[in-house]
Amino acid sequence: MIQARLAAPRRAALLTSLVLGAAVVRALLLPIGDGFSTAVFAASLLAIAVIDGRALRPSPVAGEGATPAWRLAWSVLLGVVVGMLLIGPAITDRLADRPIGDFWSWAAIAAIVASLEETAIRGVLYRHWLAEAGPLAAVAIGAVVFSLIHLPRYGLTALPLDFAVGLALGGLRSVTSRVIPCAVAHTIADWGAWFWA
Amino acid sequence: MQARRVGLVALLLGLLSAALLHGRLGAPPVYDGIVVPPAPYRYESPPPNLRNGNQLPLGGQAVLPAPNGTVAGGGVQTDDQQVITFWGLGTLKAPAGTSSVTCTIQPVANPPAPPAGVELRGNVYAINCVGQPANGKVTATTTFHLTMRIPPGTVNDIRYYDGQSWHNLTTLFAGGGDPYASVNAPGFGEYAAMARSGTATSSSPFSDLSRYLEFYGILALVLLFGIIAVAQEIRRRRQRRPSTVKKR
Repeated sequence: MIQARLAAPRRAALLTSLVLGAAVVRALLLPIGDGFSTAVFAASLLAIAVIDGRALRPSPVAGEGATPAWRLAWSVLLGVVVGMLLIGPAITDRLADRPIGDFWSWAAIAAIVASLEETAIRGVLYRHWLAEAGPLAAVAIGAVVFSLIHLPRYGLTALPLDFAVGLALGGLRSVTSRVIPCAVAHTIADWGAWFWA
Repeated sequence: MQARRVGLVALLLGLLSAALLHGRLGAPPVYDGIVVPPAPYRYESPPPNLRNGNQLPLGGQAVLPAPNGTVAGGGVQTDDQQVITFWGLGTLKAPAGTSSVTCTIQPVANPPAPPAGVELRGNVYAINCVGQPANGKVTATTTFHLTMRIPPGTVNDIRYYDGQSWHNLTTLFAGGGDPYASVNAPGFGEYAAMARSGTATSSSPFSDLSRYLEFYGILALVLLFGIIAVAQEIRRRRQRRPSTVKKR
């Protein structure tokens, strides 16, 4: 037990560094092109999730057996609600007049990248920090990492907002014990940009 | 149970903070997937191939305080954000007795003809400020900043019409494919993006192709890794199955 507790933080810290490193690489590659840097970032997050291998499975919760389908449906529904609440403040802004016909292809990529971010942060990192340092640290570190990976693109002014969103998504992860609702909420929040950014 | 309690508190705290911070930072909550493409350019007189679905450009207006004729720093932009201007304290001079200045940017329906050998690209915008309450003349004592969205196709520079002739301005184009260009505007009048006659009026097939390749390149890369991830997971589950049976 002692060995496991000593070994875990190194792995959690290593994986956290890898996720932050992927964001740094993305920022460095940005002058080459947004598409290329995003592809490298997405591939890096996916590689981290594949290497870790356990990101997508729900956290074991004491006293619970196999997860029934209704629990999964409930958690996805909660993800939809949280996503709507995240874009809620933006819907009073003036609607952007981007054509809806172009939305779908953009939305597909946004959904993939958002889901990969959630897989890495609320999947891989959350699980490791939860095992080592408990739920509070897992949620808080996830929120810090989430805000830091957005720093190169949006600057310091967006840091508090991204930390708040990271906190909400980390909370959603803890409440549902799943990554999928976080990916759903994150994707909906991203899609809002098409209509209100 | 403790994890759920912590999660619930974090969820509520995060949502509340995000709602409170949104108005202050003026941005949607996350949007980090990829750069959101700009809305289509709004033409006053669209090219024939872009006539369908074109929306007319919008104007903009701002009222700025001008105590003792000195206008405080500020700016004005069109409601569709195709033109944005701003100036520092003291850049604009209004007549004595002026209490405020009304600045407007309006797309021009019948613009002055461009010089020989160049063509207009996109809209011509008229920028003007008048002092209130007597519609007094306001002048720009130094240059002010002007950023203009440029339409698809080649644009060489932004030019300024002072009422008699067009003047070309040193134009700074935004990098990374952003369709904006900026100049130090010398005064009030008309501004327009222009290009030498005969250059492309729409995006080239090559740039369309590179965008197409970039988009599907991302999808292909992510799908490739996705397939690897699914294959890894299936293999892992197969390896785990015999040990589960043994335990029973």
